[in-house]
Amino acid sequence: MQDIEVKTEHRVTKIDPKEKKIQVDNLSKSETQWFPYDQLVIATGARSRRLNIPGNDSKNIFTLKDLQDGIHIKNYIDEKRPNQVAVLGGGFIGLEMCEAFRLRNMETFLFCRRDLPAGNLEREISEKILNELQENGVHFLDHQEPVAFRLNSNGEITSIETSKDQFPADMVLMAVGVIPNVEIARKAGVELGKTGAIRTDTAQKTNLVDIYTAGDCCEAFNLVSQDWVHTPLGDIANKQGRVAGENAAGGRATFLGVVGSAAFKVFELEVAFTGLGTQAAQRYGFEVGSQVIEAESKVGYMPGAKRIVVKLIFDRKNGRVLGAQMVGKEGVARRINTLAVALHQKMTIDEIARLDFAYAPPFSAPMDPILIAAEQAAKKIVK
Amino acid sequence: MSKKEKLVIIGGSAGGPSAAARAKRFNPDLEVTMFEQGRFVSYGS
Repeated sequence: MQDIEVKTEHRVTKIDPKEKKIQVDNLSKSETQWFPYDQLVIATGARSRRLNIPGNDSKNIFTLKDLQDGIHIKNYIDEKRPNQVAVLGGGFIGLEMCEAFRLRNMETFLFCRRDLPAGNLEREISEKILNELQENGVHFLDHQEPVAFRLNSNGEITSIETSKDQFPADMVLMAVGVIPNVEIARKAGVELGKTGAIRTDTAQKTNLVDIYTAGDCCEAFNLVSQDWVHTPLGDIANKQGRVAGENAAGGRATFLGVVGSAAFKVFELEVAFTGLGTQAAQRYGFEVGSQVIEAESKVGYMPGAKRIVVKLIFDRKNGRVLGAQMVGKEGVARRINTLAVALHQKMTIDEIARLDFAYAPPFSAPMDPILIAAEQAAKKIVK
Repeated sequence: MSKKEKLVIIGGSAGGPSAAARAKRFNPDLEVTMFEQGRFVSYGS
C-alpha cells in the first residue's frame, strides 16, 4: 500500500491553472467534478494516428497503443478467425505485429509508403528486415498509399483500395504513428514545441507555474542534434516521470536528454539503433560519412554465431560519431548500448576503434563488430 | 494540523505512475492522486 490514490476510468477534461483545479469526468458514473491541486503532472501520453480515409471507423480496423487495444485485437481474432490481415505502416509496431499475426497463422500483408519497411532506418538495415519478413511469409507491398476501405453491409472492411490496386482484407491494423495528447494542456495555456508536443525543460517543467509534464505528450532534448524532439518511448516516459514527480514534490532532479536509442525484434531478427541516421544528420548540417560492415556476432566456430550488420554514421570533419544502426539474429540489441554511451560522451570514431572490449569466443570476436566498423570508418575521416 | 499538499497526475501509463511513485518517496506527506481514462494503469513501461 503506497498511499497513492488511483482513479481509473476518470477522464480529465479541463485544467484551470489560475484556480489550480482540474475538471474530471467519472466515466463509469457519468459524473463531472472539479479537483484542486497544488502541483500537477501532465502525463497524457499519445494516441494512435488514424488515416483520414473513407471507412476508417469500421469495426475490423484496429490501432495498437495500449493494453486495451491489444485485448480488442486478440478477442477479435479469437472470435472471428480472420484469414487475411492488412498491416498499414512499416514502423516497429507494424513490424512486431506482422510477427504476431503470422504466429496466429494469418495471411499477412504489410503496406508501406516507401520502398522498404522501417523507412526511417538506413537502407542496409531495412533490406535485412524486408528479407526476414519475406522468409516468414509476410507479403510486402511497397509504395502503397491507402485511399479507401471497402465495406460489407455489416460495416466491416472487405478490401483496401490503394493508389495502385485493391487488396482483400478481413482485418486491418493501422500502425501509422502517434499524436501527442496535448489538447487539454494547450487549452489551459501550456506551450507546445515545434513538434506539436508539450514544450518542457530539463526539470520537466512547463511554462505554467506548478505544472510539470512527462512521457509521450512532451518533448525530449536530443543530445546529438542539440534539438528538442518528440521521442514517444516507454523508457523515456518512465525517466521523465521520475524527474517530474521528484520536482513536483519539491526536488531538483534533471532529465538531461536522449540520444535516440531503441531496439525491436522482427521474427528472428534483432534491430537496434541510436543517434541520428544519415538523412537526419545531413538535415542538421553535419558533413556526414558512414561505414557499413558485416561481421560475426562471436567467433565463427562457436555455436550460434550469426552475421550482423553494423552501420556507423559520423562527422567526416572531426570524426565524431553521430549514430549507429545494427541488425542481425544475435548480439545486436545489447551491443548498441556501447554506441549509445559513445554518443553521450561525444566520442570520435578513432576513440571507439581503440576501445578495450571484453572478449571470449562464446561472446564476441577478438575484433568486435563495432571495432571493425570503427576501424574502417576511421579511414574516411578528413585528416 | 496543516492541510496536505496535493499532487495531481493526469495519465496512468508510464510517465504518470513513475511520477506518482517518485513524488511519494521524495515527500511521503504529499497527497498523490493519479487519474487514468482507461481501465488499466502502468501498461506502458
